[in-house]
Amino acid sequence: MDALEKLQILADAAKYDVSCSSSGSDRKAVKGALGNAALPGICHSFSEDGRCISLLKILFTNKCIYDCAYCINRSSNSAMSRAEFTPDEVVDLTISFYRRNYIEGLFLSSGVVRNPNHTMELLIAVVKRLREVEHFNGYIHLKGIPGADQHLIETAGLYVDRMSINIELPTTKSLRLLAPEKSRSDMIAPMGMIKDKIEQSKAMASRYKSVPSFVPAGQSTQLIVGATDEVDLKIIKISEALYNRMKLKRVYYSAYVPVGKSAIVPMNQVHSLRREHRIYQADWLLRFYGFTADEILTREDPNLDMEVDPKCQWAIRNPQLFPMEINKVTFMELLRIPGIGNVTARRIIAARRFGNITFEGLAKIGVVMKRAKYFVTCNGKYYGAIDLEPWKLKQILIDAPGKKANQLTMVELFPQTFGGDLGGLSV
Amino acid sequence: MVYLYDGSFEGALSAIFQMFYDKGPVKENQLKIRELYQYQIFDEVVETYTVPDQASKVVASVIETFGEEAFRRIGYAYLSEDPDFGTKLYRCLKRAYKLGGLGMENYSDEAIMDLYKCYNAVARESHIMLGLIRFAELDKGIFYARFEPTYDLIGLMVPHFQERLSDQLWVIHDTKRRKAAFYNKETVHFSDLDPIEDLYYSSKEEKYQKMWKAYFDHIAIDERKNPKLHRQMMPKKYWNFLTEKMTK
Repeated sequence: MDALEKLQILADAAKYDVSCSSSGSDRKAVKGALGNAALPGICHSFSEDGRCISLLKILFTNKCIYDCAYCINRSSNSAMSRAEFTPDEVVDLTISFYRRNYIEGLFLSSGVVRNPNHTMELLIAVVKRLREVEHFNGYIHLKGIPGADQHLIETAGLYVDRMSINIELPTTKSLRLLAPEKSRSDMIAPMGMIKDKIEQSKAMASRYKSVPSFVPAGQSTQLIVGATDEVDLKIIKISEALYNRMKLKRVYYSAYVPVGKSAIVPMNQVHSLRREHRIYQADWLLRFYGFTADEILTREDPNLDMEVDPKCQWAIRNPQLFPMEINKVTFMELLRIPGIGNVTARRIIAARRFGNITFEGLAKIGVVMKRAKYFVTCNGKYYGAIDLEPWKLKQILIDAPGKKANQLTMVELFPQTFGGDLGGLSV
Repeated sequence: MVYLYDGSFEGALSAIFQMFYDKGPVKENQLKIRELYQYQIFDEVVETYTVPDQASKVVASVIETFGEEAFRRIGYAYLSEDPDFGTKLYRCLKRAYKLGGLGMENYSDEAIMDLYKCYNAVARESHIMLGLIRFAELDKGIFYARFEPTYDLIGLMVPHFQERLSDQLWVIHDTKRRKAAFYNKETVHFSDLDPIEDLYYSSKEEKYQKMWKAYFDHIAIDERKNPKLHRQMMPKKYWNFLTEKMTK
């Protein structure tokens, strides 16, 4: 089998991993050697599903001993062609693509061959070769294989920019059901270890001149949404805990794509991408807008609304806080107004130094007025022209269906009427 | 009054110097490129000339008053090749000097925001282009990239690739503006260069292009194909220099 054929098989096998980011590391260039990392990350292309291609995302091999029901590479999936790279092939592809500016670096993952330790050693061989023989300074994202020895994970951390260990499914119960060979503790323990090591390395760097970097771009994880029946609140809560306690940089969510029929995956329908989108929006509220999971969703109302975005949903639930006076409220309060984001909030603060902002000025700044105008006053005047009543607001703030790429069907809009309870709007 | 300049950055700054000196009415004053200007009846035309000394006085004053970042923004805005750059710059500076040191950050002001938009468009495309430039290895071991950005970005590409690809020979060629940057592993120099008809690739080049195309096709999830989003993220105007989007 030639490298081209392997590449096709092992890109196919890797594509359900959604992480693509190449940000967070500023690995410096060395004169005469290849590569550096760009702190904000760079997208190099966009595949036909609209996702960014930043890293060469491949599996080292898709020959996997595990049989996880949600995964395309499960050992029982006999329809899947199997292949295995050699370290040389991966190194050559990475360097050649990098020199042509096709990619920002390598994202290497793997199915589990023989056992987790053996697999981890194979991955380390590749990254070690890239760094030490080829003197490659580009971005490397490596998957940690759950169940591999801690010292192997630790070794790998010295060569890569980002590490990720997928928690795969939101709860231990789901994991037991769909991936009985994997254990939750095998995922959480190395995550905690990486977190500690990163903190140690940072603390050392402030005291000593030269400290070997350890996973400078931090760690991330991924979980599959919609293969099991968790509510959105549960998922957001898990993410919040991962951000706060494990100091993760990102949690990725992947709407479950049924890959071959598997009898034990409880919800085997084509899953709504809209839900994944809403969960990402909620994730952004956690990371950049100062929200907590319990503010975004409540026990009584544990699922994200498919019709309006999570911030609008929150604002509609809390009409007593609005309208806010644009010229008075703090930065953190500005961030809570629908239609205002981080960039526009910063611009508002900057512009306020020169006097009160007018309604027209607010539009100039780039605020999304069709949402914001119902929630703000400018110099005491309200421009929304409606009463702040939740049910009225909601009708106005609905994302107009039909404008979107994935138009909602009547069934999705009115699940109670058309299909009864479909596990909380996850049609 | 309509002030005319030669279209160069220094020319614009020299003209700004003169316009501030003349203290004309801000609303009516315009600054236009001589070549593009069409005379209209009632226009009072003033010719300006590029005077390096005056231009550098403007630069020094901008940096001293508003900081280097503000000057960088002006430079980027110039690269947008907006035909109204001159007038926008004049109005922006007039307003900013009135507002004082942080004046360039008054984003609710129309004059400030108009120039900021030019800057932002260039900054955004320049970041996108860092990812979209595609090198191909020629038979002499030179990595050659041709591209056609909307704005005049070639100068903004150079420092990035000088650092990143410091151990290879490369050429970045803007075929629309017919100029190129050449890197010889030490320094970069710029020169005019017409589009090249026949390129002779190295023996390995075809193999890697084929692999990249294969990778591009296989990494997309069929169930989630979304052509509209695809075009939105990677506009069609760039496709003709993207290896993965070339038809042959």
